[in-house]
Amino acid sequence: MTLQTTQLLGWILLLPFTGALVLGLLHLTFPRTRRLDTFYAALGVAGPVVAAALGLKVLYAVASGADVTFRQTLFTWLSVGDLKIGLTLSADALGAVMLFIVTFVGSVIHIYAVGYMRGEKSFGKFFAYFNFFLGSMLLLVLADNPIVMFIGWELVGLASYLLIGWYYEDPANVKAANKAFILNRIGDFGFISGLGLLFALVGEGGFSFADIAAHIGSVDPAMTALVGLLLFVGAMGKSAQIPLYVWLPDAMAGPTPVSALIHAATMVTAGVYMVARFSFLYESVPDVGLFIASIGAASALLAALFACYQSDIKKILAYSTMSQLGYMFIAVGLGGYSAGIFHLFTHAFFKALLFMGAGAVIIALHHEQNIFKMGGLKEKMGLVTATMLVATLAISGIPPFAGFFSKDAILAHAFASGHTFIWAVGVATAYLTAYYMFRLFFVVFVAPPREKAEPAPLDRTVTWPLVVLAVGSAVAGFFGLPEAYGGQNWFAGFLHLPDRALHLGSGEEFLLDMLNLLVASAGIYVAYRLFARSPREAHDAAAWQTMLRHTLYVDEIYEALFVRPLRGLSRLLDRVVDNRIIDGIIGLTVGGYRVASAGFALLQNGSVRWYALYFMAGLCGLSLYILQNIGGE
Amino acid sequence: MGMLLSYIVFLPMLFAILMGLFRVKFPILRAGAMLSALLVFALSLYLTLHFDPAAEGMQFVRRLPWIHNYGISYYLGIDALSLVILLMTAFLMPLLYLYMWNYEKQGYWYNMLLLQTGVTGAVLSLDLILFYLFWETMLLPIFVMIGRFGHGMNRFNAMKILLMTVLGSMAMLFSILYLGYEYYEAHGAWSFALDHLATLSFDPKTSIWLAAGFLLAFAIKIPLLGFHTWMAPAYSSAPTPSVVILSAIMAKLGVYGLWRFGYGLFGPTLSYYEPTIVVLAVAGLLYYAIHAIMENNLRRMFAFSSGSHLSLIALGIVLTNLYAWSGSLYFIATHALASAGIFLMIGLLYRRTGSVHISNLGGIASVAPRFGFLFAFFALCIAGLPGTGGFVGELLIVIGAFHEGIAIGFAAATTMLAAMLFVFWMLQRTVFGPVTRHTAQFGDLTTLELLTLTPIALLLVVTGIAPSLFTPLFEPQLQQMLQTLAQTVGGAS
Repeated sequence: MTLQTTQLLGWILLLPFTGALVLGLLHLTFPRTRRLDTFYAALGVAGPVVAAALGLKVLYAVASGADVTFRQTLFTWLSVGDLKIGLTLSADALGAVMLFIVTFVGSVIHIYAVGYMRGEKSFGKFFAYFNFFLGSMLLLVLADNPIVMFIGWELVGLASYLLIGWYYEDPANVKAANKAFILNRIGDFGFISGLGLLFALVGEGGFSFADIAAHIGSVDPAMTALVGLLLFVGAMGKSAQIPLYVWLPDAMAGPTPVSALIHAATMVTAGVYMVARFSFLYESVPDVGLFIASIGAASALLAALFACYQSDIKKILAYSTMSQLGYMFIAVGLGGYSAGIFHLFTHAFFKALLFMGAGAVIIALHHEQNIFKMGGLKEKMGLVTATMLVATLAISGIPPFAGFFSKDAILAHAFASGHTFIWAVGVATAYLTAYYMFRLFFVVFVAPPREKAEPAPLDRTVTWPLVVLAVGSAVAGFFGLPEAYGGQNWFAGFLHLPDRALHLGSGEEFLLDMLNLLVASAGIYVAYRLFARSPREAHDAAAWQTMLRHTLYVDEIYEALFVRPLRGLSRLLDRVVDNRIIDGIIGLTVGGYRVASAGFALLQNGSVRWYALYFMAGLCGLSLYILQNIGGE
Repeated sequence: MGMLLSYIVFLPMLFAILMGLFRVKFPILRAGAMLSALLVFALSLYLTLHFDPAAEGMQFVRRLPWIHNYGISYYLGIDALSLVILLMTAFLMPLLYLYMWNYEKQGYWYNMLLLQTGVTGAVLSLDLILFYLFWETMLLPIFVMIGRFGHGMNRFNAMKILLMTVLGSMAMLFSILYLGYEYYEAHGAWSFALDHLATLSFDPKTSIWLAAGFLLAFAIKIPLLGFHTWMAPAYSSAPTPSVVILSAIMAKLGVYGLWRFGYGLFGPTLSYYEPTIVVLAVAGLLYYAIHAIMENNLRRMFAFSSGSHLSLIALGIVLTNLYAWSGSLYFIATHALASAGIFLMIGLLYRRTGSVHISNLGGIASVAPRFGFLFAFFALCIAGLPGTGGFVGELLIVIGAFHEGIAIGFAAATTMLAAMLFVFWMLQRTVFGPVTRHTAQFGDLTTLELLTLTPIALLLVVTGIAPSLFTPLFEPQLQQMLQTLAQTVGGAS
């Protein structure tokens, strides 16, 4: 591995943060003016676009050199004892790919947001938050050590919190934002505990990823496993996996560009990235990996089931995101790190596109989000329909679109690793994915319209980004063309992560692919039969359907299990423990003092004879004491 | 140079005496107070520049015999521990005066001046009697301010804080006198100087009892769980500047005392109490945070928040390793900033709406964006957001805790969860949501208010982004202290 220093990484990080600072200060100085909006838009987009150009340059340089890692130390963040944490940025192949995804998709969505958010109040603040998010996400992916990564990790959570609660006048949205932050924080409790433990184990040798990788071998495997589990708890929160996923559907309260960027393309994939970044650790504890894959499979299936019963267009996509993240965790859990990152890469394109297409529909229909109130939009919104179709085909795994290759890489890996059950869950989820995505597509675009609504015309900044991402969704898969189709899986070779080597014959892989394709087609067919002509919001025939529509009442269960007991406990501490018990004990002492003083007051009765008696008693006592002491010596 | 610490301690009191003698008018009074605070701040910065972090022991020492017969001396000195608290006090005082710039009650200003002398004196004294005097001096202005200028059941609450803290102080005084007497027994002359008393050695039983006297005083001041019932009433009754002093500085003196006198005098004996303190601190960390959830009064809510964080600091101190100690010291400073920020803003809320009750608030972000931004910022600092100073302290303490063991590590890491339990729900109902009757006419921050709050916010960001600027100031001395502690087998133990 060769190291190269570069100034580029620092600039890439600085651009969005500077944008956020300038925009934020301007907004706070002139909170109510609308005159600066054009300037805000230009400034808000400039940083990410330039960063994307520089990011592309870095990716190109990393890809063309042999095993190059770019590195730049900005300054020492903290240095106490052995804990020397530099604000060091580094871009190896994995980092460069993430850098590209974040800045490229990020720029496209920033441009889209210009049109989408036009006319909203606090336009400048929106771009300040958006730039701040991008900067934090870059800090996360470029960090050279897990502490700086954790800082980025929490800051993206903050940006997510602020943007979910964007329409904060409605308490429901703020509640959704709180839920997101709190569930993420529960995950972060695991993350930081994992880091604390890891530092106690290997910290003496330095704490950058490379140092940890060099020393992890000497650690007791049980401890490594514990660290791996704790770090994954963080990933569960950030990447919305069971049991910490409940914030993601609610996060759709934010504006759609936010959902596209943060809750689909970038931030929520951070957990997958983190596991891949710690691949050197996870490869030594396959049992933890299996646990991760199982959580991923369960999340994929559950979310897909939920998605089939949703009627809010953004919630369908939210559950779909959770489901796709589950796929990625299946991959990284079973040691297929490249496959997981490959799916992360393609997913960024088509999921961002799905959200942006949905957003285009939502603003064209004046903030309607229920798909059963839409319909027939293919006549009036040709471009949106075409791009949405590309994205829907891509996520459903239809060749030659991007999702086909990445999803099949994951399923092939799962099959080859011998965990047939996880593989089967993956295939079942693929069926459901095709079904619920085409359900959405047919109901919104193909089926005859329910209500006569004339879509509003869309801004060019809204439509062109769709085209860019549609191209990406169509071709991104070819970067990882597997050997079965005459490719060399360039993507995996480039990442050179410690993938668990598994061999699957070309013929077998081809057969598996055919099976997946068959399953997906079946899903599309069923969706077509049910929804293409006369879509009905199916009424629940059975109890389990009602359960699924209400997402198994998980929110209510969590509320009853955690939120209410905590509030009750809080009241109990105030009213009983503090006021009665502790102050009671203190009161008792004070009371005892009062009783004693009342007792002493009785003695003080004013009679001289009694006083003389006290005097005598005192004198006797004193003499006795002195005598005893002398005797003692 | 020799007089520097004396100036820092007594300038405010001197100003108070002079202005009191001449019965100056209000504009001169506040200008004088501000001048004294700025002078002290400038002197503290000057002192920091000449402070040698690598040197062992106390610096800028001033030692004069005072009451000869009993070996009581005027003995001041500074090391990294006291420097951090001194700097925080010196930094916050001018801002507090800025906050109360138009507050015309003269008695209040005099009390603040005396308070500063009391607090800095307590931090810098190395003679135990002198320390005790300052320790009591700083309580009196607080008592007066709560009793005379406070809100709610202020008289009762003033009495409660006074009685509970005096109870602790008496126990401490007893221990101090006993130590002095023992020194007399051993050397034939009285002394109350810290370095003298630290050389005494006792049988374990005596040592444990003597330490208890000090620990009781500090446990009440911090307050550790079970010793805390004065806290919320005092915070809710006290006027804003004294709440800031209570939470930002005086509570820190409790942990400072534990550090300086607990470890300085009793060294290894303290290990007898360590398990108890660990349990109380961890329990307190969560207890206070859970208690805060349902609080409707913002002052009480952040009183509990303060208790929760001070428990974490106390935990860091008794863990006695470099990470935990650095974390605790760092957190002492950054928590002072964050809690000063939040309590000042609660004070501003009270000025605007006449209420500090969450149920009356809402929608501040819509009507007053700057206010909303800064309020949320300070609240998030309290929640330990990375990029702000609080996170650094918490991170270091968590890392130090994992060095001691996995269970303690997990317990310390719950601090990640503690503050968020109440902070986000509180923000939802104050800054966000719909505007209420009370907040409809809410004015945004004025220039004067911005001037008060911005320095605190900026310093929090700087301490969060570049902690490496500050840690070299104290890391070498902490390391030395830990070494000394490890070598001490005798001492006053």
